[in-house]
Amino acid sequence: MFNRTLMMLALAATFAGCATTGYSLVQPGINNAGGMQVTAGSGWNIAPAVITSGARKGTQLWTRDGIYLDRLVLIPAVADGEPLLTAAAKDAALPVFRKDMLPNEVEELMESTLVKYFGEGNAAVSTANLRPQVFGSGRGVMFDIDARLTDSPTYKGRVGAFIVDDKLYTIWYIAADPYYFDKHNAVAEAVITSARVAAP
Amino acid sequence: MTRLFVLLALTLSLATQPRARAEDQELGHLIPPGYRPAEAKDEVGLWSEFERIEAAINKSALLVRDPALNDYVGEIVCRVAAAYCNDFRVYLIRNPSFNASMTATGMMQIWTGLIIRASSTDEIAAVVAHEIAHYTRLHSLEGFRALKRKMSTGAFFDIGLAALTGVYGLGQTAAAMSYLSFSREQETEADLFGARLLALASYDPHASYRVWEQLIAEEKAAEVQREDPGIFAKTHPEAEDRMRYLKTRVHSRYGPPDAVVSKDQELIDVLNQNYMFLMEDQIDTNRFGRTKQILERHATIGVEPSLVRFFYGEMFRQRNQAGDLDLAMSAYRHSIELGNPPPEAYKNLGYLHLKQGDLDQAKDRFRQYLAAEPNASDRAMIEFYLEE
Repeated sequence: MFNRTLMMLALAATFAGCATTGYSLVQPGINNAGGMQVTAGSGWNIAPAVITSGARKGTQLWTRDGIYLDRLVLIPAVADGEPLLTAAAKDAALPVFRKDMLPNEVEELMESTLVKYFGEGNAAVSTANLRPQVFGSGRGVMFDIDARLTDSPTYKGRVGAFIVDDKLYTIWYIAADPYYFDKHNAVAEAVITSARVAAP
Repeated sequence: MTRLFVLLALTLSLATQPRARAEDQELGHLIPPGYRPAEAKDEVGLWSEFERIEAAINKSALLVRDPALNDYVGEIVCRVAAAYCNDFRVYLIRNPSFNASMTATGMMQIWTGLIIRASSTDEIAAVVAHEIAHYTRLHSLEGFRALKRKMSTGAFFDIGLAALTGVYGLGQTAAAMSYLSFSREQETEADLFGARLLALASYDPHASYRVWEQLIAEEKAAEVQREDPGIFAKTHPEAEDRMRYLKTRVHSRYGPPDAVVSKDQELIDVLNQNYMFLMEDQIDTNRFGRTKQILERHATIGVEPSLVRFFYGEMFRQRNQAGDLDLAMSAYRHSIELGNPPPEAYKNLGYLHLKQGDLDQAKDRFRQYLAAEPNASDRAMIEFYLEE
């Protein structure tokens, strides 16, 4: 089945979902994820490397109540021609970032990427409310996501994305709906909108 | 009396396999309508397991609940099933891959990928007939027993556990459990008996091999060949072999196909009414060779041209190979000229003008988009460009 195309990140996250060790607290204040700087309040936990070992270099996975319930995914510095995820399967057909992408194309890239993230055939993902957003001194976009899965809670989310020096920086908040999305949305959105490229 | 029949049927079923190339005139239903397991403990257990999975599928967020679409599919199933109609519960699952499946309990799943790949209702009926043949020939029960022989109890229940934890989708788990152990002989039986059921229901039996012809064509058109082509779409040479023997059998038994194929308005109506979500799901797979092949079929059978052209635009624009942006712009313009475009045709054409540096043309198209879609959720983004 096409679950073979599940992304390494998703698989690793699933299998490690019950792990109780290896998480570390996000220090309140400025944090750096592969060159993307964000400002966080207290209460976030960084998932251990074993969970993100199959993801792109620099990817971080944060959560407050556990990754099945809420997650903040930080993917920095995706270069032209590269996908946002990694895949073990050669036939995954991952969408790739192009440096000349316009806002609607970044939104579509994320929609297709999330279908692969949750497992092709296992998820119907839609996006809405594409809007401009300032990140640091530059411009980017935000939009909302809705992911319906075969046998999981419906997930809602917010995505922030911006391009600097031809590289894409994304930060997504995804949480189970109802309850968990609303529970953490404000603090997650604060982290997303704080994102910028870290000073060299 | 019924219990005797069931025992006899089970015995016959087990005694007739394996065998090469079943002769369909020998084949018939092995269970009566309304069949329920009454003899074998493992069969009762299997039913219990599938009923648990079915309850979960019933709650799935990917279950298509549109009444018209469900009625359309349900009527096909009942027409092919005839006296067995009430034995099946049909679940239409939002999944752009090609598949249908049937469990031993009569839980039939049809994925939306089958609907978008069909050139006619007869082709959907052909796949349904194949699955019903598996059911009434008790292949699912045989497959379950074969699976149990191969797997330890722990491994078997791991499937259930995987379903619960979401590592594998429940729908996919149920589908996998229904097909995993079908033998080549059982597939051949289901192919040939299915073609006969198709003809008995007054559907075109030639649709039984056309399904395979189209799957093979899609595989050839794919830019990324699947390592695992899915449950029904088996790899070459099996698909070509199955297509060939079905074609030979159907031609010899029912004569050549009709020279002129009439328009299948029922299928076209269903596609037109649900086209946006069906094709958006397909576009999201990022498999543009396959999408192009599906669109070519839709253009041929007469799906609303404005919609088909719009998705040509989407496919070319997102594929983004050399020359694709021009092709995309042409497709969006064509969609608009044909008179019934989705509002997004204006918007995405506007974005392409923007990409070419033509802000005035982009603004014109963005204004048309907002006029066609006053409540657009991305109004803030569009107005950002209009104010530039």
